[in-house]
Amino acid sequence: MRAPRGTGIVLLVLFAGTPSALAGQEDAAAAGKVVYDRWCAECHGETGQGDGSAAASMLPRPRDFTQALYQIRTTGSGQLPTDADIRFAIENGLPGTTMPGWPNLTDGEIDDLIVYLKSFSRFFGQGPAPEPLDFGSDPGGGPAAVEAGAAAYLTMLCEECHGLSGRGDGTSAPTLEDWRGLPIRAADLTEAWVLNGGSSVEDMHTRMLTGLDGTPMPSAIDAMNSGVVSPDEVWQLAHYLASLGPREMPPLRDVIRVGRAEGGLPADGGEEAWAGVEAFYFPLSGQVVQLPRNFAPAVDGLWVQGLHDGNDIALRVQWNDPSNSPDPNWDEWQNKITTALDLDGAEPIALDSVGAPTSRPPDAVLLQFPFEPPEGTDRPYFLMGDAREPVYLWTWDSETGVGAGRGRGLDSVEPLAEDPVAGEATWEEGRWTLYLRRSIEIESDGLDFAEGTPTPIAFQAWDGSSAEVGKRSSVSTWYYILLEPPASSTVVVTPLLAMLLTGAFGLVLVRRAQDRRRDG
Amino acid sequence: MKRYLSHPFWQGAIVVVASYVAFEYVIGYVLPVIGVASAPVPSSVIVEYMLIVLVGVLLYMSADEDRWQRFREPIRATMVQPDRRTVRGILMVAFPVLIGWLAYERVKPSYAAPATLRAVHPAPPNQLTFRGETIELTGLENPLREEGSMEEHLAVGKRIYVRNCVPCHGDLLDGQGHYAPAFNPVPADFTSSGNLPQLTESYVFWRIVKGGPGLPREGTPWDSAMPAWETILEQDEIWAVILYLYDQTGFPPRTWEEEGGHE
Repeated sequence: MRAPRGTGIVLLVLFAGTPSALAGQEDAAAAGKVVYDRWCAECHGETGQGDGSAAASMLPRPRDFTQALYQIRTTGSGQLPTDADIRFAIENGLPGTTMPGWPNLTDGEIDDLIVYLKSFSRFFGQGPAPEPLDFGSDPGGGPAAVEAGAAAYLTMLCEECHGLSGRGDGTSAPTLEDWRGLPIRAADLTEAWVLNGGSSVEDMHTRMLTGLDGTPMPSAIDAMNSGVVSPDEVWQLAHYLASLGPREMPPLRDVIRVGRAEGGLPADGGEEAWAGVEAFYFPLSGQVVQLPRNFAPAVDGLWVQGLHDGNDIALRVQWNDPSNSPDPNWDEWQNKITTALDLDGAEPIALDSVGAPTSRPPDAVLLQFPFEPPEGTDRPYFLMGDAREPVYLWTWDSETGVGAGRGRGLDSVEPLAEDPVAGEATWEEGRWTLYLRRSIEIESDGLDFAEGTPTPIAFQAWDGSSAEVGKRSSVSTWYYILLEPPASSTVVVTPLLAMLLTGAFGLVLVRRAQDRRRDG
Repeated sequence: MKRYLSHPFWQGAIVVVASYVAFEYVIGYVLPVIGVASAPVPSSVIVEYMLIVLVGVLLYMSADEDRWQRFREPIRATMVQPDRRTVRGILMVAFPVLIGWLAYERVKPSYAAPATLRAVHPAPPNQLTFRGETIELTGLENPLREEGSMEEHLAVGKRIYVRNCVPCHGDLLDGQGHYAPAFNPVPADFTSSGNLPQLTESYVFWRIVKGGPGLPREGTPWDSAMPAWETILEQDEIWAVILYLYDQTGFPPRTWEEEGGHE
């Protein structure tokens, strides 16, 4: 194919624009290209447009360097990042996305890489180098600051996108798009460890002042300049955000401890009855084991609490989901997800004549156990068992409620109508709370829990409004659940007995040795 | 110092203490630091190992009458001599407390996960079936090393890797992909000297083709989130991704000559 006449001239003009960014740095750019091609190009694309071979399965998409739109900056809204900003993103990665940090690259390699990344856009090298904003100084945290920050959260209309509790469930959340028109989630501020730009008070303050270019997240500078909030109030807001949840992902513990309830089991998932009961966090992965895979799952983790009274076991499972599916307000979002994401062969949900989806899948969660407490470490396959060895399931979805089932693989669930598991779920401000209760031992086919014996447990979750159905789910591998046995006297008696016997034995030995010495 | 080292009692004591340090700390914590795949030994197993060590030491000491006498001497002296009364008193209290503590460790309610002794690199089969086609693994080499352009194979391998493997094994091939925290066992770290350079390409081929479900029992197939990639990728794509793994990490594959038969 011949290039149309005139292309050469256009290219010349384009290149005439770029060299200023590269002037004197051609060697660094060439070295940076080597690093880029080796580590970056497969996602960000050979020409830096964020369109690498793996990009279509990612949301948010890899950065398009030709646009010079950088989210994580210390410079004003709409401005280019500093070199240090680009370095920060490369070194630390962008939590909550598929971009990792790159500790394998040397400082020099990152320097070269920055030169090369900037060469993708004509905007760099024009005008003076970008300068960081003046962020002022933190007036300090504490309860009063957090309270003032909570007020600023409303003054600044943060809840419109991020929701009243900060879980990304604001009224505008279903409509949010990035600069490409792709759906983008309002950050869940209660899970600060997935915030792209870091989770410290300083990080959050910086992001608020700079805004996240290319996303709907604006800069707070205008509100400050027009007197809506003071600089101190933005700092207080940062302290409030940092108070919304843990900054780091909770440490993974592999055994859910189900304590004995003093004074009866909770009758529902209400906060009062469960306050003070130890909660265990389990991160979930997209189901990326069997086709069609889910590379951009909506539910990224859940919290589990448990209590038992010797007869019944009650569990409370909580997870954040900005949509109470099925909800027509999220139709647009659902449609955008199905068109924006590479569904890996999954059938997209069809639209009717007016562009509404023909189905709105429910939200769902299931808990998975073996049918029998396992011998040794053997157990069924973690992805809902297989034809040979089934798994016992507690299922819930937002349309049919709680049930039990027998799973023989990811798309094979046979309901167990006899099973006495019961419960209910409530959705409030971007969070599901699922309450489950069953007798510890049952007549019908299903797992009998044994106190004091760890029993395998695994989880799966779906967000209907993100078009998650069937194998497009979030999953975990096996963990354990353990019902605390009643306090036993052996714990005290056995060690005491062992000590007494050893002591007596020692005394006899010494006495005999001394007698023999005296005799001898 | 030398006096102690040549005395049977102290030799025995050193062996016992060194064994404990090795079981408790070296296997679990030092080996991983120097890049050898390992995990802490469960305490019940350590107690068993220590009993075996003790019996071994006693057997060795009692095998020779003279050595046995010398070995017993400090023990006897501590039991009888008046000037060792303090040491004797301390030991008479310390021993029962130690035994009591061990007994408590055994009977106390445990909220820990049962120990799984999982073989990280279980013995491979001699052959496998790829979508029904039988492939001999013994002596099998990566066919792409002999044909076509290495540059193109590596480009294919990288594309396959980033699209399919990155979520778990990570962009840096270090087993720290963005989904890695959700998986137990954790995804393999290809930058570890305990993995790729210890394995032939045919072994890696088997692990990719059959994934978690294809592991033998000692590899706990029910736990592994590794897909059976024959359901998703073609043979050439798998061989290409293997080339990419070795090329990007800089490790050479183990050869069949080094292997000397099979594991």
